Amino acid sequence: MATKKRVRVKVNGSDHETEIEPRLLLVHFIREVLTLTGTHVGCDTTNCGACTVLLDGRAVKSCTIFAVQADGCEIRTIEGVATNGKLHPLQEGFKEEHGLQCGFCTPGMIMSACALLEKNPHPSEQDIRWGISGNMCRCTGYQNIVKAVQYAANKMA
Amino acid sequence: MLQKTSPEIGGMGHSVKRKEDLRFIQGKGTYVDDVSLPGMVYGHMVRSPYAHARITGIRSEEAKKLPGVLAVITGQDLEKAGLAWMPTLFHDKQMVLATGKVLFQSQEVAFVVAEDRYTAADAAELVEVDYDDLPVLVDPHRALDADAPILREDRAEKSNHIFHWEVGDRAATEGVFQTAPVKAELNAFFPRCHPAPLETCGCVADYNPATTKLTVWETSQAPHAHRTLFALVAGLQEQNIRIIAPDIGGGFGNKVPIYPGYVCAVVASLQLGRPVKWIESRSENLQSTGFARDYHMKAEIAADQDGKVKALRVKTLADHGAFNAAAQPSKFPAGLFSICTGSYDFSEAFCEVDGVYTNKAPGGIAYRCSFRVTEAAYLIERAMDVLARELKMDPVELRLKNFVPPEKFPYLCPLGWNYDSGNYKAAMDVALEKIGYYELRKEQEEKRGKGELMGIGVSSFTEVVGAGPSHTFDICGIKMFDSCEIRVHPTGKAIARMGVKSQGQGHETTFAQIVAQELGIPVADISVEEGDTDTAPYGLGTYASRSTPTAGAATAMAARKIRDKARKLAAHLLEASEEDLEWEPGKFFVKGAPSKSKSIQEIAFAAYTNFPAGLEPGLEAVHYYDPPNLTFPFGTYICVLDIDKGTGEPKVRRFVAVDDCGNIINPMIVEGQIHGGLTEGLAIAFMQEIAYDESGNVQGGTFMDYLVPTAVETPTWETGKTCTPSPHHPFGAKGVGESPNVGSPAAFVNAVVDALSHLGVKHIDMPISPWKIWKILKEKGIAE
Amino acid sequence: MAIKIEKTFQVQEPLESVWAVISDPRKVANCLPGAQITETVDDRTFKGVIKVQVGPSVTDYKGQVHVERLDNEQHEIELIGKGQDIRGKGSASMKMTGKVRSLPDGNTEVASIAEVNVVGLLAQMGGRMIQEVSNQMFAQFTANFTARLQQERTSSGDPAASRAGAEDAKPIQAVPVLLTAARESVAWTFHIVLVLVLAVAIGVSIRRIFKCSDQP
Repeated sequence: MATKKRVRVKVNGSDHETEIEPRLLLVHFIREVLTLTGTHVGCDTTNCGACTVLLDGRAVKSCTIFAVQADGCEIRTIEGVATNGKLHPLQEGFKEEHGLQCGFCTPGMIMSACALLEKNPHPSEQDIRWGISGNMCRCTGYQNIVKAVQYAANKMA
Repeated sequence: MLQKTSPEIGGMGHSVKRKEDLRFIQGKGTYVDDVSLPGMVYGHMVRSPYAHARITGIRSEEAKKLPGVLAVITGQDLEKAGLAWMPTLFHDKQMVLATGKVLFQSQEVAFVVAEDRYTAADAAELVEVDYDDLPVLVDPHRALDADAPILREDRAEKSNHIFHWEVGDRAATEGVFQTAPVKAELNAFFPRCHPAPLETCGCVADYNPATTKLTVWETSQAPHAHRTLFALVAGLQEQNIRIIAPDIGGGFGNKVPIYPGYVCAVVASLQLGRPVKWIESRSENLQSTGFARDYHMKAEIAADQDGKVKALRVKTLADHGAFNAAAQPSKFPAGLFSICTGSYDFSEAFCEVDGVYTNKAPGGIAYRCSFRVTEAAYLIERAMDVLARELKMDPVELRLKNFVPPEKFPYLCPLGWNYDSGNYKAAMDVALEKIGYYELRKEQEEKRGKGELMGIGVSSFTEVVGAGPSHTFDICGIKMFDSCEIRVHPTGKAIARMGVKSQGQGHETTFAQIVAQELGIPVADISVEEGDTDTAPYGLGTYASRSTPTAGAATAMAARKIRDKARKLAAHLLEASEEDLEWEPGKFFVKGAPSKSKSIQEIAFAAYTNFPAGLEPGLEAVHYYDPPNLTFPFGTYICVLDIDKGTGEPKVRRFVAVDDCGNIINPMIVEGQIHGGLTEGLAIAFMQEIAYDESGNVQGGTFMDYLVPTAVETPTWETGKTCTPSPHHPFGAKGVGESPNVGSPAAFVNAVVDALSHLGVKHIDMPISPWKIWKILKEKGIAE
Repeated sequence: MAIKIEKTFQVQEPLESVWAVISDPRKVANCLPGAQITETVDDRTFKGVIKVQVGPSVTDYKGQVHVERLDNEQHEIELIGKGQDIRGKGSASMKMTGKVRSLPDGNTEVASIAEVNVVGLLAQMGGRMIQEVSNQMFAQFTANFTARLQQERTSSGDPAASRAGAEDAKPIQAVPVLLTAARESVAWTFHIVLVLVLAVAIGVSIRRIFKCSDQP
């Protein structure tokens, strides 16, 4: 087996330093090494977006990044979206607008929406649809997810 | 009559925000892959690259040498324990791990167990398997040819024919066809597709040798049925098996069967005495787990001159893949396909279905279709459009002319279904109005004149769901009742558990609302649990839109038992006789003296502290509900689309869905279900197929090729409703989860064919890709 | 999955030179990095192995080629080739027709049409990948083959030089392919094309042997 590599990452504001195999995917690092299981795996061809996290502010698919590539970076997962126990407007929006059913795509969806609203605080419906087009949902048909993001955009305005 | 409750109580009809959301929006759900137990190890499946081949050798020495590898289990190992084959849910058996030969690409051949998932995957690469390939059968139409390879050597009858099933009166139907002045014929293929829930299947099997208890965390829509089957097949004691279906990331029928991966994980855990986790990849999910549809159908309608339908004749070839692993009630090899007379009043009908084996993944499951109702609805709705074209009649006019009228209910159709209720015209009227149908037809006329392609597609489907009454329905012998157990605590709060299992349908909210409606306890004070077979009462699970019709009914009945006892307690507290008391949600009061009342909370407290002599203490009830009939949700969907002549792309402009699911528990949740199901229907109509090439290679085995619509492709859905309560259901509900997937494919396809019908196009099979349309445009000389 | 691959290449060497190299199957096999003929079953059937390395993973394939038909008049040869991953991850079979002819300018042209049937993971990824990668693979083979011919021409008669040219071929390295398909499938493409190329090379060599024997 390949020799382990040391990585240092800041995840949801906390520093972590550990040794891992170079081929360990970032999503497995997050889920199994850091035991943050909110980020999910939904496919094996980088299509579904369930694994979306923010890497230095950018929404990325953590199944297609090696943990070693995140060395020295800041990662934000769904667990780091609420602040001091207070839900983020996006989380509120998903609940108020019924933007989730089984909940499996929800963390990735919220992370993508976070990145979207960061870049574009007043998105149109089309902007939102394109902004979350990297995230698949099988339950909701996206309509209420769009409403959830609009709710958050209005609240954050 | 349902009494209205306040928003605070949140009974029927309130769009209560979902209680389960809190954990999901924080990423704190517990899905099977989130479960981590001390000492847990990982399993990885070795799979066949061949669709049909004899296995001449398996060598696992190299794999076992890898540090961290604990076991490599093969079919031969399982054979010693009598587990190499297991029963399917439908009178057949399937290989757990291949012995002798493999019958479909991606079939399970060996199971590797290692300390971590990467090592397990490495080891799986090192397992060596020798195959001698055999001729492949992928065309079901060839399955019964004299020279077709016989796939199932294990069966006594050496044939690829699985079953022949027929229903209706063949001779009488024949008679009508012979004299009918108008006949329409349609050959329609419903392609093989896959539910592809976002969470794949998996389990953590944990056998504890110290307690001899086996706990399996499993992505299961039917945990109790799985428990019983594990007990029967693996020879384990049922009281020592606990199945826990935790949060499930979507099911849609995909998580009803028992898969080889589960069995291998259990065997490995029994062998190693450690928890074994097996989670399949998306490719494995698409290529080996329960597919849906794959029906080659022919429909013929006999009608008279002015469009009154007389008889329906249907012949279908069902492709079941290598094993008949269909998840459907045991007396129905073609599920509830005989609902294919749909919403129309036929005097005669005859339907026959033949099932065959092919070298493809086994199945089919009920993908959001209540056991083949999608296929049936698609067929009749397409056939009616073909008939309309034949008669040069507007498809809406033809439907209105032939709907079973409200006064004919309960209606016995010629294929044997007793429809409990229906008002098809009402739903149609609402849909026509909402979409502005007649204006659209005018617009289409104008556009045609200019050479623009616009299509309007109508689907007025009837479903049959809520399986089902014990006299007719069972799965593997277990009758299809369902259950609910409610316990009210001294402080007036309650906990309810049922035998169904939500995978996103919102039961923690909707079932609490049922209890709230019946007992007047606020929804916020009611906790709902499902999925743990150690605590939940026995049920058959959630699929086929059955939760509300069966477990929902059980919940209402259990709550009513509690209310009956509450009446006794109230009478005792109010020192009145039971007959003098009246109920309003949340309290009993003395007739004529409303201030003399006791709230349900006071009554609950009294159940533990102040009950009359002779009355059993406590306040709880359990009810097992055997539904007297199925329910018949229905609706009308109308789709308007425009076809781009340059690319062939069909763009859905508007889609109106009017559904009738009887009395609604939570309108917000129903609407969400409709949105989701319509999106699945869109995908099936336009983008999805699990196809196989002539060598049995799966095409469409990953999300690169099996397309799931994103927010960009998905239009904005418009919903509406009518309400025709089910007369036999305790609160008049019918179930709705599957209606959108049942009704929408025909609406989409009817719209595309409608857009091109003036060019002579009669039918296009799904999936209707832009390429398929563009080829037709090119052929007709109008591609841009 | 059935795929048709048509390849034609020209060598700027006269027919006789081409025959001289191709007449030695081992020399031809050496143009396929990682390939070896392991067994001559009979004068028409040959077994071989190919080691393919994609990134850090090295996979072994075994194959067999059989000359179905040899037409001295038309200068046509038909081969059936079949190969399998030794661990059972998939296979490919091929029927190939090859034609060799002299060109007016004195060069030699080899034209082949192959129908390849692929089973396994690669076939799921689709024919779109196979065509692309086989193009690149073929370019590598013809470059090696041409270089070998030039070497033979310049070093003809010098046994030391010939030996120097016949070093053990290293396993083929991964060709950068801009696709997200599994690495297995890329390895598989190499395998199929190499079976094809091996078959072409062996076929051409056999052709040469027969042609030689016809000459007075």
